[in-house]
Amino acid sequence: MSEGYILTERDLQALAIGAALLGTGGGGNPYVGMLRTRELMRKGAEVRIAPLDALPDEVFVGEVGGIGAPVVGVEKFEQGEECLRALRAVEGAAGVRCGALISGEIGGANSMEPVITAAQSGLPVLDGDGMGRAFPEVQMSTFMIYGAAPAPSAVADEKGNVVVYQSVVDMYWLEMLARGTTVQMGAAAGFAIAPMRMAFVRRTAVPGTVSQAIAIGHAILQARANRRNVIEEVCKATGARVFFTGKIVDVRRHLVGGFARGKAVIAGTEGWAGSEAEIAIQNENLVLWIDGAPAVVVPDLIMNLERDTGEPITTEMLRYGQRVAVIGLPAHGLLRTEAALKVVGPAAFGYPELAYRPIAEGVPA
Amino acid sequence: MKVLREIGVAELEDIATGGAILGTGGGGDPYVGKLMAQQAIRAHGPVRLVDVDALADDALVVPVCMMGAPTVMTEKLPQGEELVVAFRKLEALLGRTIDAVLCGEAGGINSTTPFVVAAATGRPLVDGDGMGRAYPELQMVTFTLHGVSATPMVLCDDKGNSIVLDTVSNAWTERLARAATVEMGGSALLAFYPMDGATAKRAVVRGTLSLCARLGQALREARAAHGAPVAAVAEMLSAEVIFHGRVRDVERRTVGGFARGTAEFEGVEDWAGHRFALEFQNEFLIAYRDGAPLVTTPDLITLLDAESGAPVTADSLRYGLRLKALACASTPAWRTPEGLRLIGPRYFGYDLDYRPFRPDAA
Repeated sequence: MSEGYILTERDLQALAIGAALLGTGGGGNPYVGMLRTRELMRKGAEVRIAPLDALPDEVFVGEVGGIGAPVVGVEKFEQGEECLRALRAVEGAAGVRCGALISGEIGGANSMEPVITAAQSGLPVLDGDGMGRAFPEVQMSTFMIYGAAPAPSAVADEKGNVVVYQSVVDMYWLEMLARGTTVQMGAAAGFAIAPMRMAFVRRTAVPGTVSQAIAIGHAILQARANRRNVIEEVCKATGARVFFTGKIVDVRRHLVGGFARGKAVIAGTEGWAGSEAEIAIQNENLVLWIDGAPAVVVPDLIMNLERDTGEPITTEMLRYGQRVAVIGLPAHGLLRTEAALKVVGPAAFGYPELAYRPIAEGVPA
Repeated sequence: MKVLREIGVAELEDIATGGAILGTGGGGDPYVGKLMAQQAIRAHGPVRLVDVDALADDALVVPVCMMGAPTVMTEKLPQGEELVVAFRKLEALLGRTIDAVLCGEAGGINSTTPFVVAAATGRPLVDGDGMGRAYPELQMVTFTLHGVSATPMVLCDDKGNSIVLDTVSNAWTERLARAATVEMGGSALLAFYPMDGATAKRAVVRGTLSLCARLGQALREARAAHGAPVAAVAEMLSAEVIFHGRVRDVERRTVGGFARGTAEFEGVEDWAGHRFALEFQNEFLIAYRDGAPLVTTPDLITLLDAESGAPVTADSLRYGLRLKALACASTPAWRTPEGLRLIGPRYFGYDLDYRPFRPDAA
């Protein structure tokens, strides 16, 4: 049974880069969270990343993260202790204390929130998460899909308001109620889900994703330092492949019910000259069509990288004229079961006409 | 605890009528709340009404209330137990027995909802409320003026969802609870503003449930005696009949969850040749006579059918109705600068200063 490792400042930087990539365009920008964590670490806070087998079955695990629209998250900074307040509120409501934290969503800003809460509370962060990527809604995590209790959960804002969902009908009601609250709070808030037993988390978490994000980040940093092709190195580190290369020619965005929805149109270059790709966005990249045919479909991962630097581009940063490589990666097996596809498959996002077909290459058996 | 009197099934009829009069055009139809309260009284026995002074200073008092759009509240009925669930959950959260139930809003549906909880839990109900009328938002209570926090608050729906709020201000409670209510389908049940007896004695608008009962009784008896129901209500309320006329035009729009609009009247009989208009936002907020503002919130404006004296809500206004408008002074707590910041004409977006209606009456 390994104890895990202490997160270094270098790891933290890599985690932010890797998490941004796994954010599949959404999940919020981890950069601000990285700066906040670094500040806490420089003041002496220590964060341990613990493997999923490091703690006994009966320990309670708290899932914390930000909830809201990524566009807002970039502009409306957190006060700093939103997630900690939400965690304390659910601990109080459930009458338990948590012995570890986990990210619900490794992709984007929510890779950092448990690390920040860990730096504030001294709890370890488990090496895993509930998505292996980013998703826009609360119920879209392996924890919820495989039966975690949706209550008591809590939302806390930067002003000091805390709303506890003491009992809810199901995970969809939790999403609906928490989203309504978040919109009123200014579309960005801290969130904590009902504490889960370690035994349950071990079975349902997408394993190793904190370390995976750090490894991706290091691969990108090293490729840059050694002037190697970053996109190739990312593909090597993750098993992803390039599906399209081109120039952004159109981006549409609108804020609907607290979500950033829209689409991006890409005119092909290099091997794809003459082709056109379109990406549907709902906070995250959801579907990639190439010349009208679906090429990568949610829950598989679609990521836009800046063509020259290999920097992941989040959906709120997409703009006309950017040159991008679109890479695709299969989702973890826990997201590809029949039960999971009901919650995170194309139909759940409003594309009932699309059947989920795992992307061909790199799919583990 | 000295009991003023016991309220049974029959008295609730009068209280609901009186609640509609104090509803000042809004507050939701007391009918559904009345049926719920009558059912609870049949099942558990009458409700003991007590004066706020009968409470010990350290007693724990909790108001209960239904929140939402009045039109939804009449159509989407509660299961029946949610109010009691909200009350019990708040009690568990506070970790001590609640000694008495309080009415948040004596105008409209919430004149009757506290009877449901009082009957089901056997706790006494305080004779009074937090408004002395009806208002659309939950921070608009005299409790706010006395520094009582609306939270911790429990909010329940008919489906089994329940939420606990802990907020930085009562205005934030309103905002967050409103959003939850909308998600829950437009109506929800709450227990909130937990306070001690000493605070209740300072903050409660006193005697308003008895006033509801007396208003209902006066109206009922005047009708039965073929007397003058409107005059009977006006006398009981110390109100003045400020107009008698026919509805000439009603303009309505739904803005930010409120039923806003204007109603215009042309005078008949003593008021022939005169004009009258009302601005409403769920409740009647401003009355103009011959183009000049005559009564503004927080003073009460209520409409009664000119013949039967039946209270008429803003939703049911339509062309041709012959109505009498009554106005009376609000509770003195609202006529202060702090009170007017919470519910004065400017809060509701009207470019008018409050001018007390019959200042001597306060």
